[in-house]
Amino acid sequence: MSPADAPDLQQLQKLLYRLIVAPNGVEDAIARDRGAIDLDQIIVGDERMTALARAGIYANSYFYRLLETLREDFPVTLAVAGDDEFHNLVTGYLVDYPPSEPSLLYAGRYLADYLGSSPIIARWPFIADLARLERGLIDSFHASDAPSLDRFALQSIPPDTWPVLRFKLHPAARLLKLQWRVDEIVRAFEQKRGQPPVVAEPVMLIVCRKQAQTFYRPAEPLEAVALSLIEQGSDFAAVCEAISAATNDDLPQLINHLLLRWLDDGLLLKT
Amino acid sequence: MIRDEFPCLGWGVGLRRAHYAEILEQFPAMDWFEITTENFMVAGGRPLEVLEGVRANYPIVMHGVSLSIGSADPLNQAYLRDLATLTRRFEPAWISDHLCWTGICGRNLHDLLPLPYTTDAVTHCARRIRQVQDFLGRRILIENISSYLQYRASRMREAEFLAAVAEQADCGILLDINNVYVNSFNHHFDSKRYLDTLPADRIAQFHLAGHRDCGTYLLDSHDHPVSDEVWELYDYAVQRFGPITTLVEWDDRIPSFTDLAAVARTAHDRADAIMIAREALDRSSLIAMRGSHAPRFPDDNAVDPAVK
Repeated sequence: MSPADAPDLQQLQKLLYRLIVAPNGVEDAIARDRGAIDLDQIIVGDERMTALARAGIYANSYFYRLLETLREDFPVTLAVAGDDEFHNLVTGYLVDYPPSEPSLLYAGRYLADYLGSSPIIARWPFIADLARLERGLIDSFHASDAPSLDRFALQSIPPDTWPVLRFKLHPAARLLKLQWRVDEIVRAFEQKRGQPPVVAEPVMLIVCRKQAQTFYRPAEPLEAVALSLIEQGSDFAAVCEAISAATNDDLPQLINHLLLRWLDDGLLLKT
Repeated sequence: MIRDEFPCLGWGVGLRRAHYAEILEQFPAMDWFEITTENFMVAGGRPLEVLEGVRANYPIVMHGVSLSIGSADPLNQAYLRDLATLTRRFEPAWISDHLCWTGICGRNLHDLLPLPYTTDAVTHCARRIRQVQDFLGRRILIENISSYLQYRASRMREAEFLAAVAEQADCGILLDINNVYVNSFNHHFDSKRYLDTLPADRIAQFHLAGHRDCGTYLLDSHDHPVSDEVWELYDYAVQRFGPITTLVEWDDRIPSFTDLAAVARTAHDRADAIMIAREALDRSSLIAMRGSHAPRFPDDNAVDPAVK
């Protein structure tokens, strides 16, 4: 090949990229191009390895590196789906959501979205929610550091400002509104128990971080109402009104209980 | 001399999650740690907390895998900003990345792919390295990668390409000894001749690692001990470039910290032995020269009879 015939850098990189990410391998990608690609004119082959085999090393490396990353990031989703099905899921996922971030930490960012629209949802209807919880734990783990609201700070708030007070969630807090109690599967997996039956029940799972360790728990029903409003930016008066409308229980006692729990969880941001 | 900007930090290892607790609880003897930059490009949490603890007790170097200096895409400005932020916070001794491309059209392959060895690619990479150096306000190191393919479009050897990029970019070189050996097998070249081609004053750091023999090719797997052939090439590199900062990389099937530290000590011992031998050789050559037509040296300990 003369220099004039050589593809420019961008053409070369686009071609190699296309071959490496092809879901059925380099050879299949070339066959689909019906002779438009002559790999031997681009890559040097020799008696030990053909050009095709050399490109194939990168294709394998691409897929298996990402598969391994996703296996580590979604261990419970993997346990539910099993090795073979997870492998197939990742193949499809990478076609729909090829990585674009510089760090592998973000490779699984859209896996839950992918699973939610995948036919696999018919077999395991809870699997997208499960992946969402596992991803939420990763996001919380790496979220910004910031001081949590504590009792001293809370006590120093002037009483007359409470009605217009707007709490903010800590950057590590995630409120996951799910349709399945996938927290029970994750808990069983952590405790090395067998997979329990998964209950179809709308739930808000709170994910947050305490002393650098992530945790999750289901929100109490009224707590979910209150946290949703806080997340939306509502003031404290609106939060109290919503809770009051939803229960006949003693409002001050209930609010006190929720606030203490949130402080203990480090769920609110100190502003 | 560029080498003066990168003083010898000694013999270090990569900072890996498996060793966090031991390092932060026992502060074991280690000259320095290298971090994989992208693992710490996060908003907060445990990784940065760990790095704070390590940095307070050891020098660190930031080694990236996603600069994609050879990509035809524009440089990723958000990535550069994150890199600068991390650099300001942790003050690494230096920053390095690879002479390769990792993605195109905004996509990332999360792999280090080779470039065609052409003058156009030299110009392209050198210009971008200069942009990165200007942005960061400091010189960086570029590392030779392991590779499994070469392009028909190449018009020079890999070592010539690396040397030309470093000269044009005015950057330093992180010389991965294992990668040279792996590529010498995969692409049929003489690994010592490769080292002889490189500009000695730009070599600022060595990497040592293990590879896997896949029969028809060697895979730079970082999951095996350093091979005898790579140790021999390391010895040759120390003879040629001197005892410079060295790192043992191990990313999979990671041994205990004690065992990993022992490999770093082996590298240190080998470098010391080579330098002692070289010094002895230099002295004996000097004596032999003086016995015949030797010039006199001002730093000679012997007393010159003329000034008695």
